[in-house]
Amino acid sequence: MALIRREWKAKEADEWTREDWFAIILSPLAYVALMVGTALSMLLLPAGFIILGAGIALTLLLVWVINPKLSTISTEYEKKQKDYIQQLEKITEWEATE
Amino acid sequence: MVAFSFLDWFWLAAFIVLMVGSGVLFYRLGKRSEADFFLAGRGLPWWLPASSVYATHTATDTPMWVTGVVYKHGLAGLWYTFFSAWCAISAFVSTRIFRRSLAYTQAEWQTLRFSGLPSHLLRGWMAGWQVFMNMFILGWVGIAMGKICHYVFDWPTWVGLVFFSAVCAIYVLAAGYWGVVMADFQQGIIAFIVILIVSIWGVAAAGGPAAIIQRLTEMGQADRLNPFAFTGWFSGDFPIAWFLTMFVIAVIGGFGMGTSIDWYAEAQRIQSARTVKDATWCIWSGTALVLMRNAVWGVAILGFFVLYPNIADVKDYELGWFRLGFENLPAGMIGFFFAAIVAIHISTISTHLNLGAVYMTRDLYHHYIQPKASQERLVWVGRIATFVLLLGSFVFGSIMENITEWLIFALWLMAAGVWLPNILQVVWWRFNGWAYLAAWISNLVFSWLVVWVLPAFGVIPALQDYEQFWILMVLGAFIYLPVTFLTKPENMEHLVKYYVMSRPIGWWGPVKREAIQMGLL
Repeated sequence: MALIRREWKAKEADEWTREDWFAIILSPLAYVALMVGTALSMLLLPAGFIILGAGIALTLLLVWVINPKLSTISTEYEKKQKDYIQQLEKITEWEATE
Repeated sequence: MVAFSFLDWFWLAAFIVLMVGSGVLFYRLGKRSEADFFLAGRGLPWWLPASSVYATHTATDTPMWVTGVVYKHGLAGLWYTFFSAWCAISAFVSTRIFRRSLAYTQAEWQTLRFSGLPSHLLRGWMAGWQVFMNMFILGWVGIAMGKICHYVFDWPTWVGLVFFSAVCAIYVLAAGYWGVVMADFQQGIIAFIVILIVSIWGVAAAGGPAAIIQRLTEMGQADRLNPFAFTGWFSGDFPIAWFLTMFVIAVIGGFGMGTSIDWYAEAQRIQSARTVKDATWCIWSGTALVLMRNAVWGVAILGFFVLYPNIADVKDYELGWFRLGFENLPAGMIGFFFAAIVAIHISTISTHLNLGAVYMTRDLYHHYIQPKASQERLVWVGRIATFVLLLGSFVFGSIMENITEWLIFALWLMAAGVWLPNILQVVWWRFNGWAYLAAWISNLVFSWLVVWVLPAFGVIPALQDYEQFWILMVLGAFIYLPVTFLTKPENMEHLVKYYVMSRPIGWWGPVKREAIQMGLL
């Protein structure tokens, strides 16, 4: 079984899995590297370009890891969304007149 | 005062027409329904709300704030702006959960997550608080524009406050969130380009990157080039303990909802995205751009420091980035720069006008007063609410100097003691509405005691802000944890409905088992 799963079925994608945790860890690191790397690159420091490059690489890795799962969740969810909106409106009115 | 040529006035007039026009164009879409007036029909591709995230968090006071911390601390001051990194985890956790709930607002979400009386109390409280907060932010940002107009044109401060907010209100009243997001898109592009141009121009005015580094080294200020230049673990005005606290608050806060004041504006962008995936990438990329923009500003401010190293008063150096533009750009470009400042300003104003209005309309009027209101009526109530917020912002702006200290305290007390409960409500099924309500009330009491009363009477020493955060978090837990266990869990049927709809992360085992038993999963 691959470390990072790239093919998802709708029901499996609804669960929280290790791909989500990879995203949770990669994402703040990418932010730090993008911010620090941009500042130091503006000063034309070599370390800045390296850190900025790392930030871009982390961002691409983040997209590669989590995007297939997000696509599956979204496709499945869109089918339900119309019903959910109607249900939500009912809840809103029911709560108000409870 | 800055001299404007004909070309400068032309840029300004053309930009105002473009900005207002691009918003008003969407009048027909905005008036279709409540969902259109406040969420653009929940159909936006990720890059549109992403540009709105970026534009909204680029306000007239933002460069002043970034200038203030970087002028004082060097590049390490950028960590003050890292609070927006709550989106790092939120984009993949609470954004997904919130988007699936389809709640218009965070106040509405409280009634989906909790049930019964506490959920209503929470919704009403949160809606009222958000109306107040948005008025306050409008006044705060508006008065910053007033100060800039005073610097540029020597106008009385109120003129800049009233004129540009009123211009912005034209398209927010006409097209609601459709107008906001479409104007934000072009305002965001203009702002990004101009921030880049002015910052590079400022760096060049200071002699370029090599000259800035050389000059700082000669001044014995080379530490300003190091983003990790701390003053010790607990000592000095920039300790590692502060950095770690900020990092935890910002990043781990992404598991919750409302751990940052920006969540409430972002929640609207999340719900306006057409899918969960679009919602995720809209707040992730918008925030990445915000952080990179702060870094660009930071380097420009290093240039400003090299040019003017001995400014002691924060009121004098906080306008540093604006001065770089106005004092160094060539004639004809000044108007372009000022037009971009207007873009920066009204992108934030438009967001908070519409955001305050959604709480007033959806959570107060639609929920409590007229649940059966027609869509046409709700749109009109949205417009009236927008107008009320505009007027309220003028009042707040005019008294801002007197109330700022109190309101910063109010912001702080809203943040510290409820930070963990904001996470617990998302990740723990057993955390109930009474506990969340208890957390808010106890935080109100404890923050007064810890921040003002006890230090004033010498009972405890005056504490650093990061120390206050940890103390308030622990004190609050002594109240809301017992309340959690001494009161009943939420109604299981209500929790199952919420779980099936939102699929939250964390400790939801009993609810999930019940949902499976009921054949819903």
